[in-house]
Amino acid sequence: MNPTDDKAGLGRAETLEVLARCDRGRLAALAEAILPAVESTAPVEVLQNRTGLVMLPMRDTVKLVDFHLGEVLVAEAHLRHGAAQGYGMRSGRDLEAAMGMAVVDLALALGIETDRIAAFLARENEALKAADTLRMRQVEATRVEMETF
Amino acid sequence: MAYVATRGGEQAIEQAERLFRADLAPFDRSRVDEIRRAMPYLIDRIMGEASLYDPDLAALALAQTGGELYEATLLLRAWRTTQPRIAIAQPVLQDELLVQRRISAAFKDIPGGQILGPTLDYAHRILDTAVLEGAAHAPPPVDPAPRPAPQRQPSLADWERTEGLVASPAHSPVAPDDIPDLTRDPLLIPAPRAHRLQALARAETGGVLALGYSAMRGYGSAHPTVNELRLAEAEIRVAHPDGTVFSCGRARVSQAEVAAKGGDQIELGFAATFGWNEVKVIAAATLDLNSDGAAPGSATEEEFYLYHTESVEASGFCIHFKMPHYVTFQSALDAMRGASGEPAGEGADHKIGASL
Repeated sequence: MNPTDDKAGLGRAETLEVLARCDRGRLAALAEAILPAVESTAPVEVLQNRTGLVMLPMRDTVKLVDFHLGEVLVAEAHLRHGAAQGYGMRSGRDLEAAMGMAVVDLALALGIETDRIAAFLARENEALKAADTLRMRQVEATRVEMETF
Repeated sequence: MAYVATRGGEQAIEQAERLFRADLAPFDRSRVDEIRRAMPYLIDRIMGEASLYDPDLAALALAQTGGELYEATLLLRAWRTTQPRIAIAQPVLQDELLVQRRISAAFKDIPGGQILGPTLDYAHRILDTAVLEGAAHAPPPVDPAPRPAPQRQPSLADWERTEGLVASPAHSPVAPDDIPDLTRDPLLIPAPRAHRLQALARAETGGVLALGYSAMRGYGSAHPTVNELRLAEAEIRVAHPDGTVFSCGRARVSQAEVAAKGGDQIELGFAATFGWNEVKVIAAATLDLNSDGAAPGSATEEEFYLYHTESVEASGFCIHFKMPHYVTFQSALDAMRGASGEPAGEGADHKIGASL
């Protein structure tokens, strides 16, 4: 587990998921702010920054066969900094947001600006959770008890 | 084989395209955003049939084609071919779906309960014409429950298996790269189940409904009851280069199981698609349910419904008939004349087909 994950109270996968779903404007602002510190130690090499497709399989619930539901458009960014790497992938075609995710991920790998990133992750995680909670409270309001007369 | 050139057509063709686009008027990003915001179910339908999940692109395709759905689907299918496949995600499992609607017509008390979610099932269908007089269409807001519903719901089919009501097949793990893929391999009959379900996932909604409806009305062997219907979001789980599996986003999906009595157990049919499109998945699951043992040439025969619900192929074949067929049709006329003893060829054009 990355040390910064502990500061935000998130595991590694959760950290990446918050970065993949958080507000793109705030993510871009954070990445821009921490990039000089990342680049100050060594040059950052862009290995990939592109859009592409992720095929999404699903498991049939009747015969338990995996099949392809279809493809999801994603934006991907992959950075290298010495032995460290940063990676971003977000659904959609926002290359800048994917790059922002990769920059933050690289900073985490390098241990740079960890407090600032942890605070960002905590705020964004709360916002995402709050949106999910509100939606599921609305969904819960539609629960029914079926009666047979 | 003979071909006919459209003489002097280049300018006319260009003007025809300009006329089509002029009727739609110039547009920019704001129209795309408004379509996406206002018509999520249309966006869902297009994404399902295009087999490409991206609401922005689907809204753009609708804007660019003026809502001509077959053209929009074709645009998206064509655009998709310009993109590399970066990865294959982890398979979506039913009990990991983030569920917003989940009902059963077969059992009223199901593990996790029944949740209507967003639906017009019990609504009056009344057109709000006051909007045309300047009033706002402003339905009352939802009163949220004090506590949220669980995002994940248990599988009804799994409960039925524990009760011995449905068969318990073993899952045979398949490497992601080895899952049969219609975008890489042709559809062959009999189709692997993975091909059948992928083809239904990307099938044209109206076609699936028509054939599924015929089975429901009695032209199939099994009458469906909705075992479980879900509208949900699926996490798109991919691997970071360091091996960590994470969700890079969510996709709206629909999933239906339909049930029918079969011997001493319940038989189930299954279908799923991108987007929230429950008519399509119920009809498609009905076709799946009725497939085994279907009469050759019937609407529920796998070959019949898979080949005839493929949107791009079906619409493309249909509209190709409006393209010039002068030579082949003239040949048919010549054959008619030959059969009736009339002279064939150019000299006969004044009689039949002179204006073709």
